[in-house]
Amino acid sequence: MKDDIIICRCEEVRLGEIKKAILEGVITVEDVKRRTRAGMGLCQGKSCGRIIARLISQYTGQSIKSILPATFRPPVRAIKLGHLGGEENCCPK
Amino acid sequence: MLPQIADVVIIGGGVIGTSIVYYLANRGLDVVLLEKEGIGSKTSSAGEGVIFLQLKKPGIHLKIAMESLKQYRKLRDELDYDIEFTNHGTMLIIQNDEEFEAMRNHTKDLRENGLPLKLLDRKEAREIEPELSESIYGATFSPLDAQVNPMNFSFAMANSARKMGANILPYTEVLGIKVKKEKINEVVTNKGNISTNIVVNAAGIFAPNIGKMVNVNIPITPRRGQLLVTEVIPKILNRPVTAARYLAIKYNPDIAQIAAGKAAAIEPTENGNLLIGSTREFVGFNYYTTFEGIKDIAENAIAMVPKLKNISIIRTFAGLRPYTVDGLPILGKVDDLKGFIMAAGHEGDGIALAPITGELIAELIATGKTKIDLSKFNLERFK
Repeated sequence: MKDDIIICRCEEVRLGEIKKAILEGVITVEDVKRRTRAGMGLCQGKSCGRIIARLISQYTGQSIKSILPATFRPPVRAIKLGHLGGEENCCPK
Repeated sequence: MLPQIADVVIIGGGVIGTSIVYYLANRGLDVVLLEKEGIGSKTSSAGEGVIFLQLKKPGIHLKIAMESLKQYRKLRDELDYDIEFTNHGTMLIIQNDEEFEAMRNHTKDLRENGLPLKLLDRKEAREIEPELSESIYGATFSPLDAQVNPMNFSFAMANSARKMGANILPYTEVLGIKVKKEKINEVVTNKGNISTNIVVNAAGIFAPNIGKMVNVNIPITPRRGQLLVTEVIPKILNRPVTAARYLAIKYNPDIAQIAAGKAAAIEPTENGNLLIGSTREFVGFNYYTTFEGIKDIAENAIAMVPKLKNISIIRTFAGLRPYTVDGLPILGKVDDLKGFIMAAGHEGDGIALAPITGELIAELIATGKTKIDLSKFNLERFK
């Protein structure tokens, strides 16, 4: 794979940046995220999370099973603040 | 690789620990930083990045925050990394008459202490932030207040220290500290032991655990703050805006219990997401978000900036802040145990005070004294 291939589409993070973080000693999916923003976007790492776990395994030699996924937090899908804030008819469909 | 010996061992790799290691390495000391997880992975990556001067108490608290800001400007120019430092000021939004009177006094107090704070009426506030609600009563505007990315700051300080020869060891846990003749002697970790005469406890919410290893009682309690992250949106705010009520909640835990989360703090970030916080709750080591907490934040945020109701959130999260009962951090030497130095308990001020904490603790270790008197911050004040 070329270094300029995009791994996290939402935040447009490329393989090269992720590789650099791992080679500098970052060994968890969460820490790669904090370093590079991969997984911080609209889909919250639903696609790139596994690829990043595989990359960590590949570059550090840890087994893929030992690499924890990033923490998933609510909401499952993006939700308008108005719905949370209690206004019933806040947001036109 | 774990070194066998060091001048100083710092425990904790958040904004405080990484700042201390930077200033110590800069002074040429042989220094090791131990972090049980990743750099900046706990409290430092679970909050906003606002360097809030107008939320400080007049006196020494404000004074060190202003000194810290000076250091930030220097670091922005010196570091090889982008810490996303920006300076657009902050606003505290006033939502009723009582708050207006309280903020008039607060403004006077802080101005007398050297902070150029301005009290604005509704019209003036909405001139500089047009998306503020028509129903607000006014705002205070503090032009010196700034912002930084706390994660980038931690990485930048740690990496810069490493380039100057410091040993930065993430994923390394401290298991014990050995004391000989009432002096620090050795640090025991899951990867081996390090001989040292000086330990800095910069472990934030975990600082009491480190204290227990040497029989020092440290009154720091985790206080949870829940936050929301919005999608990336075109700019609707030019600077962080926070409910003025936050000031009361910050210093009076009783109010926080009644009005938990009813004072939103909205921070526009470099990337275009908004961070919206925050509750201040005592729930032990519980990192979960609650529907109630998130709902309260959403309601109050919309009350200040109505346009938010059509904006989506993509994540909620919570961080634990190291709370002390008087709202000040614990800094400096500890009586009865030579070589044990405290640098923890900043609660939400960690980001504002990180550079000055690093600078003063490094000065204390290297020279035995500090340019700002640390006696108001000592551990003994709680006895």
